[in-house]
Amino acid sequence: MRALRPIRKRRNEAGIALLIAIFVLLLISVVAIALLVSSNTESALAGNYRSSTGVYYAALAGVEEARARMRTNDSNSFKNTWPAFYPAPGASLPIGTVGYVLNPSPTDNAGAMFAAYPDTEYDKEFGPGQLNAANVQTTQSVWNRNPLSGLPFAGPFYKWVRINAISEKSLNLDVDADGQADSITPLYYDSANRVFSNNPGVGSQALEFTALAVLPNGSQKLLQYVSATATIAPPGFQTITPMFMAALTLSGSNGGGSPAFQAPANNAVYAVQGVNHDCSGNPAAGPVAAIGVFGDYTGGSYNSDLNAIANGIPTSAGGPPPTNPQLNYTGNTPPHALPDVEYLSAFPGTLQSPAQVDAFAQDIIQNAVASFVPAGSAGTQQAYLNSLGMSPANPVTVIASGDLNLTGWGGTGYGLLLVTGTLVYDPSATWNGAVLVIGQGQVTNVDHGQYQQINGAVFVAKTRDAGGNLLGGSRIAGGSVSFDPPMQGNGIRYSSCWVQKSQPIGGYKILSFHEVSQ
Amino acid sequence: MKFCGGVNRQRGFTLIELLVALGIFLLVIGAAFTLLSTSQQRYRTESQVLNSFQEARLGMDQMVRDINDAGFPPPSFANVDPTKVTTAPFGWQPGYTVPAPCQIGATCFTPTDFDIIIETEPNPVDPACFPNCQVQWIRYQLAGPNGTTLMRGAVYKQAAHDPAVDTSSVLVPFVENVVNNSPNLQIGQFQLSVAYPAVFPGGNPVPIFQYTCEQPSVFPPASPLPLCVNAGPDNSPLNIRDVAITLIVADPSPDTVTGRPRLVQLEGRGRRINPNQ
Repeated sequence: MRALRPIRKRRNEAGIALLIAIFVLLLISVVAIALLVSSNTESALAGNYRSSTGVYYAALAGVEEARARMRTNDSNSFKNTWPAFYPAPGASLPIGTVGYVLNPSPTDNAGAMFAAYPDTEYDKEFGPGQLNAANVQTTQSVWNRNPLSGLPFAGPFYKWVRINAISEKSLNLDVDADGQADSITPLYYDSANRVFSNNPGVGSQALEFTALAVLPNGSQKLLQYVSATATIAPPGFQTITPMFMAALTLSGSNGGGSPAFQAPANNAVYAVQGVNHDCSGNPAAGPVAAIGVFGDYTGGSYNSDLNAIANGIPTSAGGPPPTNPQLNYTGNTPPHALPDVEYLSAFPGTLQSPAQVDAFAQDIIQNAVASFVPAGSAGTQQAYLNSLGMSPANPVTVIASGDLNLTGWGGTGYGLLLVTGTLVYDPSATWNGAVLVIGQGQVTNVDHGQYQQINGAVFVAKTRDAGGNLLGGSRIAGGSVSFDPPMQGNGIRYSSCWVQKSQPIGGYKILSFHEVSQ
Repeated sequence: MKFCGGVNRQRGFTLIELLVALGIFLLVIGAAFTLLSTSQQRYRTESQVLNSFQEARLGMDQMVRDINDAGFPPPSFANVDPTKVTTAPFGWQPGYTVPAPCQIGATCFTPTDFDIIIETEPNPVDPACFPNCQVQWIRYQLAGPNGTTLMRGAVYKQAAHDPAVDTSSVLVPFVENVVNNSPNLQIGQFQLSVAYPAVFPGGNPVPIFQYTCEQPSVFPPASPLPLCVNAGPDNSPLNIRDVAITLIVADPSPDTVTGRPRLVQLEGRGRRINPNQ
């Protein structure tokens, strides 16, 4: 008995301790679980907003990729990488031809993308069964092409981007104002009037880009663009034509620098004609000045600069008997005293300072569908120009970021020529269209022979110093055109027709954007 | 028996021992229950906070989505029926029907720091309305008792109607306890601007909506875009590009430990992608 009692006592004590321990443990567990649950909910809530934003940008990446690759000068342009789908120049994409850019993740079955991520939106727009009846083409996204396919991380989580033509019926909008949204012909975008039309003549075709993004956690989003190419114009204008108020426009200002012009002193026929000509070379209505100067001359007079330009034109050349080349500088009505050298007081205020004029050139460089002339010898540059296949039906926006040397070329160019360095002109070369020399703002020559001309207009503005740095302030420096005395050539003949044809075309502009509810 | 009883009495607890044991036991149990009740209280307030904040997050998500979609479809899509295309990405008052845009921060009654009307067609192929789906005016406005409820309302656009008038009758509570415009509101015993000087700098209201404007009249365009109030002649609801959203939501019950009101500040940004009108 004696030996048993202490044991019984120990047992009782041990039982109480166990009970208390279990009770306390239970309490702590309840608290811990409550905290765990609450922090789980908290992080799930934060995660929802995060994935909603993430999936939005993933889908946006998809539509942006497709929009960029529609441009012919994109390095992954569909024109080169997907010729079966990309419409030929002048042709449009028919309704019922549907292209998909596929972007499978490493975890997706690349062969069954539509089984995993079906496109239910197309039939909602075009009618039941239309996707099955459509001519479907596919290509790979940039993330599945060299060199990005070699990256050690996955690209954005969009699954596919659909590209297709649109119609009144698919948009469910009455575009032609006949009271019904019924037409099934493709729509075109009239960028001057900013309206859609069934008429292919008004502008480029409006295309629809639809991207589906699906995150690994299941979040989905469908975004849609309607987009068409649009022309690039200087600020304040729908087209570039009104920007050319003279056959030869030179920059200059009071304090920034004076314009310089030196005509070929021995050439009796060299002319800068502001009289308008059509694309066939026949006279047309709407003359401009022969030589015009724009820029800020407040606080001073531009007369001395205009006189200096006029003094750069010989009064007697050729012969016998010699003629007066100053009479070749004709232009504006009412008749201006010849040579017609004028200050362009109506030149737009948004295109006056070095920064503004330079930004216009940069706008073309960055946004235009353009061909870039490589730096190098005159031969290299001219071989490139010859390779462009320029013709009246195929005007090209040609950009030389730096100097362009036409010495000895003898070819003919069509379209817009933008040179940011020095343009070394050659009177054996013909250019039909606008010639912009913005940056160094300098035109010279080396070669002398032949009598060819520029049909269109020339715009010379100095916005950068010799080191290529943008000039500050509001007063632009002087553009300079200076030719050797023996240079031949007929000069510059204004043609609003050729200027209009050389209007640079930008990439696909967003006409509408919306998120498709699912 | 005597022997045994004697031993029992010797081995028993004294009153003191019992009292001490009981005291310790009560202390432990008391502490445990205090912990339990504190955690219960904490759990309750946490769930309330979570509810408020979840509401705010969903609200933010919806607002950002509506603003991203603003201006769809643009006027270029058709030139006939004004109820099928937007007039502008954001509605305004006064002068919408003229139409003559007002100046944000000056002559506009809406859009303001606490009021915005988005013009868009959220779902053009919605089976509920197809094929007669129309553009809607979606309005977010801080209103309600004490000015702490963000209201939302959507109404179909009608020709020659004023969006502010049409939407004013359909607003319903959307996010509650939004204290952006209530820096001095008493929650518990604290003034928010005193308790949270960093959230309410200078004790001033914090705008829910801040607008940046495109500047069509300026070339080259500024980057980043200026706030509309600094955009000079381009200050107009027609030119709004980004809407930065700041939501400050308070939990109705104060923190159990500090007694302070509990705030969460959410930041978001909507960007209209549709083109300028």
